Amino acid sequence: MEFKVRAYRFNPEIDEKPYYKEYTVEDYPGMTVLNALIKVKSELDGTLSFRRSCRSAICGSCAMKINGISKLACKTQVSPEIEKFGIINVEPLANMPVVRDLIVDQEIFFDKIKEIKPYLLGQREDEAHNHFHVLKEGEKISQPVYYKPEFQNLTGNNDTPNCILCECCYSECGGVVGNPRYLGPAALAKLYRYSEDPRDNDKNGSRLVNGSKPDGMWDCVHCQSCEEFCPKGISPVKSIVKLHERTIKNSITFSAGSKHVVSIAKSIGETGRLDEIKVAFESGGISGLINDLPMAFGAGLKGKIPPLRLKLIKDMEDIRLAYKELDLEEK
Amino acid sequence: MLKHDVVIVGAGLAGLRAAVELRKKGIDAVIVSKVYPTRSHSGAAQGGVNAAFDENDSWESHFFDTVKGSDYLGDQDAIEILTSEAPANILDLQRMGVVFNRNDKGGIAQRPFGGQSFPRSCYYADAVGHMMLHGLFDNVLKYKTKILYEYLVTSLVTDNGKVSGVVAYDIKNGKFEGIAAKAVLFATGGYGQVYSSNTNALINTGDGMAVSIKADVPLMDMEFVQFHPTTLKSTGILVTEGARGEGAYLLNSLGVRFMSKYAPKAMELAPRDVVARAEQTEINEGRGVDGAILLDVRHLGKERIMERLPQIMQLSIDFEGVNPIYEPIPIRPGAHYSMGGIKTDYNGRTVVEGYYSAGESACVSVHGANRLGGNSLLDTVVFGRRSGIDIAEYLKTAEERKFDESTVKRDEEVFEKLKKSSGKERHGLLKSELQEEMRADVGVFREENAMKKALDKINELKERAKNIGIDDKSKTFNTDIVEAFEFNNILLIAEVIARGAILRKESRGAHYRTDFPERDDENWLKHTLATLDGNGNIKFDFSEVAVTKFKPQPRTY
Repeated sequence: MEFKVRAYRFNPEIDEKPYYKEYTVEDYPGMTVLNALIKVKSELDGTLSFRRSCRSAICGSCAMKINGISKLACKTQVSPEIEKFGIINVEPLANMPVVRDLIVDQEIFFDKIKEIKPYLLGQREDEAHNHFHVLKEGEKISQPVYYKPEFQNLTGNNDTPNCILCECCYSECGGVVGNPRYLGPAALAKLYRYSEDPRDNDKNGSRLVNGSKPDGMWDCVHCQSCEEFCPKGISPVKSIVKLHERTIKNSITFSAGSKHVVSIAKSIGETGRLDEIKVAFESGGISGLINDLPMAFGAGLKGKIPPLRLKLIKDMEDIRLAYKELDLEEK
Repeated sequence: MLKHDVVIVGAGLAGLRAAVELRKKGIDAVIVSKVYPTRSHSGAAQGGVNAAFDENDSWESHFFDTVKGSDYLGDQDAIEILTSEAPANILDLQRMGVVFNRNDKGGIAQRPFGGQSFPRSCYYADAVGHMMLHGLFDNVLKYKTKILYEYLVTSLVTDNGKVSGVVAYDIKNGKFEGIAAKAVLFATGGYGQVYSSNTNALINTGDGMAVSIKADVPLMDMEFVQFHPTTLKSTGILVTEGARGEGAYLLNSLGVRFMSKYAPKAMELAPRDVVARAEQTEINEGRGVDGAILLDVRHLGKERIMERLPQIMQLSIDFEGVNPIYEPIPIRPGAHYSMGGIKTDYNGRTVVEGYYSAGESACVSVHGANRLGGNSLLDTVVFGRRSGIDIAEYLKTAEERKFDESTVKRDEEVFEKLKKSSGKERHGLLKSELQEEMRADVGVFREENAMKKALDKINELKERAKNIGIDDKSKTFNTDIVEAFEFNNILLIAEVIARGAILRKESRGAHYRTDFPERDDENWLKHTLATLDGNGNIKFDFSEVAVTKFKPQPRTY
């Protein structure tokens, strides 16, 4: 069966603006989108440019938009795409500048990975004293002990070390659309992975402090796209939520985002209601309040005015109990 | 022109490990790689990395297993280093942030692997290469290493027998750049793309080996190509040996565990050359299933498969349409690893002063005629580290040298000429023809006449390669021209392999000659060294094998 590949084309040397070009390819059972692109390149048009390497979904090179969704071309079968869309439409990933055709500039993405300091800070005592030691005849080496529960996060329950940095999440991230400086899901998930590592010796919590700065973890808009579109089945947003919890538990609450969360919790804990004026003030301070004024005024014109005094709700006792159970009282 | 003290070419495990060693000492080392480091093919390694930790195990046993696995062609002085430094290297990685699965005592969990007399393969589920690659990459970032990514190295430059740098093509903008250095390390990986059914990435085109032989650096033991016994039938994608380490069976069309016939003691965990030949024999004799063998993990149960082998489960579903929890996986042997490579000593040094190689691109030789599973990752970190240390020492006394800038112009002209060619041959199609020929006639089983046929095909392709046309004339990310360069590399490497295989008239490890089925220690317990003569023809020389502790014995499993 023949099908059409419609490829986004742009070469800054010759093209004023991007255009699409169609190619006809012969299908075979099990053909992937990457197979189809390679066929186009080697048989029809050597100028079609894309990255590719391992062809087994572990290197992350061939991430691109396939029929509108960020995917790995090597892992995407042609036939279900054709069934659903009737065509293979390929475009470069979003949220990064296009270099040429399906190739984007990844520098921004990897700069953000570098920014979170993706390595152990300091060492645990028993590790630090463990110098490189070549064995003599009949000699054994002793290893530092880490029990399973300690390492569980990294070997079982937590999926973040499986990230291949393919940029699919970054391309689909709603947070990056709103704020291009936002670190994005992959970098924050990596930050979480290292902050959980039992070998990490980040004594002053600098990792969480840095991650809490503007453009960091509090800029996540919880759109869940990173989880939905991860080709490795990883959920960066879950890591980000855990980062939020961790920073608040560690009283790292200088950022507007964390103040916002703390203030909401406080308001509900006190009255069972959301005191919007107070929350706005506690999250953003006076300047935050002033910034919100036009919006508040607009809402007021439509009759949406928050009550100046909040009454306790009927089931306040239930909320207190729930807070107690969640161990949120003093926070 | 750029200038650094050290240029590391390749950003897989060996290159990154060397970089960490050098950067830790504050040395000005730059990494040059044709892909972003995390795209390197080390990340696809699945099953494990060997080191003797258990109190009932010993590094001496690992030493012997590796010598025997190499069919006695491995240099024993180097294997001794590999195995005695193994535990320290693994702990070093762990200290750097790499995660390994744990055992009940809180130590690193280990699984059995082929040809190993003790379970000594450390793992992270079935993605240990990925874990190590990303862990080392993170450390390279920690030491603020300059990385020139998407640069293709086209030549090694020397000055009076000393290395003086490399010529590199910046894929992003089409500019050639000279990079002068006092030391150069090639950690450029293997050449799996020489064969049609292979486990390798599309980038594994033996570039470093081809560039080296063109710079008069000998390639050693290139006829030894490892065929991995378990690669997915339709795509050649790797299914880890760890599956058999966890207890998987190999079944023929009769549902029989046929390994009992070929390796009654080791069964499925015999070394890779033995298992690959057994499978191919079963297939050739009509006991295959649609040209494949079945790998059965069903009896391990869903829970264990999902915990220990999650990646191969997903790969089987995505690429073969088979869920291994419920169905056996159709597999067959596929080209996997290069035992041969750039001849080095156990400090990574080559014959050219200041020029080093480590990892799969190098031949120390620790793998001899057949590599054991779990020893390649170990090789990358042990010899990557040692090269880094040796380079640091070398720099203390290394003298200044001249970088001949005409080499940059020369390489630029080669590319320009290629771009202007109006030839009608397409390199993508020539590549397929070459790969198919190499699989058919220089594969698991080899025989003189068939290999001569392969040489004829290679000669034909060399002629046709002169008429390669390039569609893409632009400078921005011109992957068309990169692929043409890569094709010429695999063509050269294929010829070295085929000629070496014809030359070696014996069967040893992965090199099996149906016309010479026995190992011949009297005539062939030696390394082959390939170089190019003045006319670009391949010529061979030989060197001694270092036999220290273990005299060659018959090799049965």
